[in-house]
Amino acid sequence: MRPSGFLAKTSALAIKDLRVELRGRDTLPPMLAFAFTVALVLAFAVPELPATARPTKLTVALAYVEAGFLWITVLFAGLIGFARTFEVEREEGAIDALLLAPVDRSGLFIAKAAANLVFVACVEAVVVPSLALFFAIDLGAGWLPLLGVIVLVDLGFVAAGTLFAAVAAQTRSRELLLPLLALPTLVPVFIAAIELTADLFLGAAFDDMAGRGWFAILLAFDVIYGVVAALTFELALD
Amino acid sequence: MGDEWRNATSVTHSAWLLRLVISIRRLTVTYGRTLALDRLDLDLGPGVIGLFGPNGSGKSTLLRVLSGLLRPSAGTVELCGRPISSSDEGFRRRVGYAGHESGLYPRLTLEENLSLFARLYDLPARRGLEVAEEVGLSNRLQTRAGELSAGLKRRAAVARALLHGPDLLLLDEPYANLDDDAAEEVTRAIQGWSGPERTALIATHGAKRLKAYAAGGVILKQGRVVVEGRYSRAREPAPRA
Repeated sequence: MRPSGFLAKTSALAIKDLRVELRGRDTLPPMLAFAFTVALVLAFAVPELPATARPTKLTVALAYVEAGFLWITVLFAGLIGFARTFEVEREEGAIDALLLAPVDRSGLFIAKAAANLVFVACVEAVVVPSLALFFAIDLGAGWLPLLGVIVLVDLGFVAAGTLFAAVAAQTRSRELLLPLLALPTLVPVFIAAIELTADLFLGAAFDDMAGRGWFAILLAFDVIYGVVAALTFELALD
Repeated sequence: MGDEWRNATSVTHSAWLLRLVISIRRLTVTYGRTLALDRLDLDLGPGVIGLFGPNGSGKSTLLRVLSGLLRPSAGTVELCGRPISSSDEGFRRRVGYAGHESGLYPRLTLEENLSLFARLYDLPARRGLEVAEEVGLSNRLQTRAGELSAGLKRRAAVARALLHGPDLLLLDEPYANLDDDAAEEVTRAIQGWSGPERTALIATHGAKRLKAYAAGGVILKQGRVVVEGRYSRAREPAPRA
């Protein structure tokens, strides 16, 4: 397939998914409602501590808890969205027409993952400022590195989530199977995400964070899952 | 249809088989404990072929296997001497399939649906408009697919299957929910598509409508072919019971 044809078809499919969501609003509103509600409830679970010049054991623990709350919220909101990845194809049997169209399966994966990435990014656009506000987190210049962490986490998260959504979509117990497959796989991504985010909440320098290896773990996961998912998506749909 | 088939000659049947398009051998499909197709053997040449049989006889299953969407439990299916496979992009370009459902996105308009599939088949978007006109849906292009009536959805599904001019057309109940005028338009669209090198297999309960233009027919019962042959209207068909 010509690269231009591949890109044109992939973008057409991704735009289709976003257009369907804009008209149906089936996926994003439940994700956002879940994420915002959880963020709001968690705001009451964390005590406000007086600012200190140097991190204490308590502020370090609190930074990890807040980072954990952030990523747990994103993780479960994302799973809500991933579970609906193939619902749009199931209505009226469009999946049959799609599978018979001469579209490279990796293009199909990229299109689905791109749409999921947009949904997860929308959730984060609500959750991150909300939690920063609720937990009175002042990131200062740490916003840019946090954006980098978010991008790295999202790539792996969406790649694995989309692949497992395709596997689960072929089964009757898809709502059960998706978290069973995805959660254990995503553990390293979210551990790395929490470690890096907690460092940022504690005002760590970027060089110090990079030296701890968590960026490398995220990057490796992104590459491995991106490639594996693109290559095996056909098997997942079979 | 039996009388017409009995009048046919076996000589022309042999000639027809020389242009064999689809060869099915001992095709078996099971769903759990249910046997949907039972060691089915069938050869299909060019032309429009009707696929008949009672509910549960295996018509839809056979069409899904031929489309490559369903992997058989046993047996082989070849298209022009090559095993069919939905993972083969070349095969996918040659087959057009419309199942029980429309295969369209309910929240997109008919025009958006057909334009999307035109793009996926490397065709200009206007091809979607052309095929909509062929099945008499030009005035419904801006209607969302989910808001179309059952009959209009059937026509839209046929339009989508015909969009890329496939060599092998597989239609499951294309006349369901259609009034006479709409059925006539679908028939015209199928006749307009048909050609000497093209094969259509159309599952329907409306044998009368198909007999008007089909080259032959196959009757399934309990997953097996019980009657197969060509219609005798052109004094060409050959029966094989």
